[in-house]
Amino acid sequence: MKTIIGLIAGGGDIGRTRVFWIGFGVIVLLFLLYPTQTSAFRVSNVSFYLLNIPLGLGMALLWGYCGVLSFGHVAYFGIAGYTYGVIAGNMSGHPLGPLAGVAGGLLASAFVAGIFGYFVFYARVQKWIIPILTLVLTLLLETFLGQTAGYQWRIGSVLLGGYNGMTGIPWFQLGGFVFEGYSFYYLCLLVVLACYFSLRMLVNSNFGQVIVAIREDEVRTELLGYDIRARQLVVFVLSAMLAGLSGLLYVQWGNYITPSQVGLLQAALPVIWAAVGGTTSLLAVVISAFTLNWVTYTLSSQGNQYAMVIIGTLLVVTMLFFPRGIVVMVAERLGRLTTRRTASSKP
Amino acid sequence: MPLVLSLLYQFGTGAAFFFLAALGLVVILGMMNIINLAHGELMMIGAYTATLTYHAGVPFWLSVILSFFVAAAFGAVLELLIVRRFYGRQLGALVVTWGVSLVLGQGTLLFFGPFLPSIGIPGGSFSYGDFSFSAYWLILVLISLLLILGLWWLYNRTPYGLQAKATMQNADMARSLGVRTPLIYTLTFSLGAGLAGLSGALLAPTVTIAPFMGQQFVAPAFITVVVGGSANVIAGAVASSALLAAVKTPIGMAFGAFSGTVALLLAALIIIRIMPNGISASLQKFFNRRAGGAMR
Repeated sequence: MKTIIGLIAGGGDIGRTRVFWIGFGVIVLLFLLYPTQTSAFRVSNVSFYLLNIPLGLGMALLWGYCGVLSFGHVAYFGIAGYTYGVIAGNMSGHPLGPLAGVAGGLLASAFVAGIFGYFVFYARVQKWIIPILTLVLTLLLETFLGQTAGYQWRIGSVLLGGYNGMTGIPWFQLGGFVFEGYSFYYLCLLVVLACYFSLRMLVNSNFGQVIVAIREDEVRTELLGYDIRARQLVVFVLSAMLAGLSGLLYVQWGNYITPSQVGLLQAALPVIWAAVGGTTSLLAVVISAFTLNWVTYTLSSQGNQYAMVIIGTLLVVTMLFFPRGIVVMVAERLGRLTTRRTASSKP
Repeated sequence: MPLVLSLLYQFGTGAAFFFLAALGLVVILGMMNIINLAHGELMMIGAYTATLTYHAGVPFWLSVILSFFVAAAFGAVLELLIVRRFYGRQLGALVVTWGVSLVLGQGTLLFFGPFLPSIGIPGGSFSYGDFSFSAYWLILVLISLLLILGLWWLYNRTPYGLQAKATMQNADMARSLGVRTPLIYTLTFSLGAGLAGLSGALLAPTVTIAPFMGQQFVAPAFITVVVGGSANVIAGAVASSALLAAVKTPIGMAFGAFSGTVALLLAALIIIRIMPNGISASLQKFFNRRAGGAMR
């Protein structure tokens, strides 16, 4: 227990003071109480903002902590979502169907990421090649899924559905209990908290220290005796599985998925969440992923066509003027203020 | 004989397509070590300029030349305002140019609507045996060859080429010898953007003119660059265009266009596994070894 607390409280993320943890607890409590205060529609929207967070966390881990940039993580989002749809759809009515779908989806993401990662990391390609090839992979996936319209494109009893996408994907269920509405909201919240705390422990562990070392200097880390290729591959697969987790929750939330979920516009989003929040902090990416999802979802559901222009401009402005991320820089400013005022209260 | 000619034609036009799609990108990557993810949108700007001026009554070839200058001017502005701050930060440059591409694509959609009327393919076609060939695509092959020669001349025979190569090798040293390196960077980025616009205009008659038309060039352009590598970009781009066309043409003819594109990605993954720095680095090593052997 003590080691777990030690790992969570380690120096790998922002927010280590007592004040911070009190605030964190209050916010989690507010999220827990939120469904009692509002409509089912709003709860469903907030579930959507929450379910995208693991994808953002995967980007933060890969880009911010390991220094590897991927523009195609939505590919793993889509692979997991479609795999879940196929497996759970074919086993519909069976209580274990959704669970098998979740396992299958995560394995499929991990499998594709493993093969792809093997080629790029074991070739020791230059830094700029990985984002390019991941982008190409996700574009190909979109093209492929887009032309799967028609009855001949079916797996078992499930149609892939071309550009209209796959519909009628079952809810998640455990035994006889079906997660929909409020229970799905709590499932999302639980998954987000679990992902956040496990990743915070991971980045503070020895493994986490080594991946940060790889980011800082690959050659030096390798000369210290670490196999950087294997570690980069593990981080890549892990972050792909986090993206897959978001994909699973997404199809369980809306019961459908379309090829545009793995398209160029969607592919940009996780990168933007990570950049705007600040890639070197998990919590900052959680905050920015939640906020930006909220903003884009609200804008686009009002029929505002400027959503992507605003988001794109935000990315450019962040990269120009807040290179370490807006949330991280605000947090540092706040941290400096509070430490100046109460220098003795720091544990 | 007609079959061989047809295969050669397919191969030649395929290679020309890869080369044109990647051209602006490789100039910027080779000289400045920056990946410009707004490349597709610069091609889109070229295609839009050509289409709008063509329909306003300007002759096609003049509108193609015009689109070079419009895209080049746009590139210069982009470099001065944004890209300039990202030299030496490759991943940062990638991300920021991606943001630019989002804004440009979506902005064009809002401003010009979902599509423009297309340009008919100029030049007509002729047939030989059972196969028919488009004259315009043959002209594009010819233009690609001319562009290769032109770039070679620019980098090996002009003061700009000399200064640009000096800046690329050692920017500090070039600056102390009196080269205005910031100007060289702006000019180079502008040249790359202009070439992207030129390619976009040249390919405009063969595709649908839409705000996100740049996306269809993203995969071929970037695969060409990845396979070619950054050691000697022009030679790399030529070699990888030819190689990729040789992969795509037979597979695309046998199994359809999508399989051809998948084969491209697989080919790229296998090639970088064998030659991590691209074809150009391997070629250079090969020739260096031969030159070394001859000297001995």
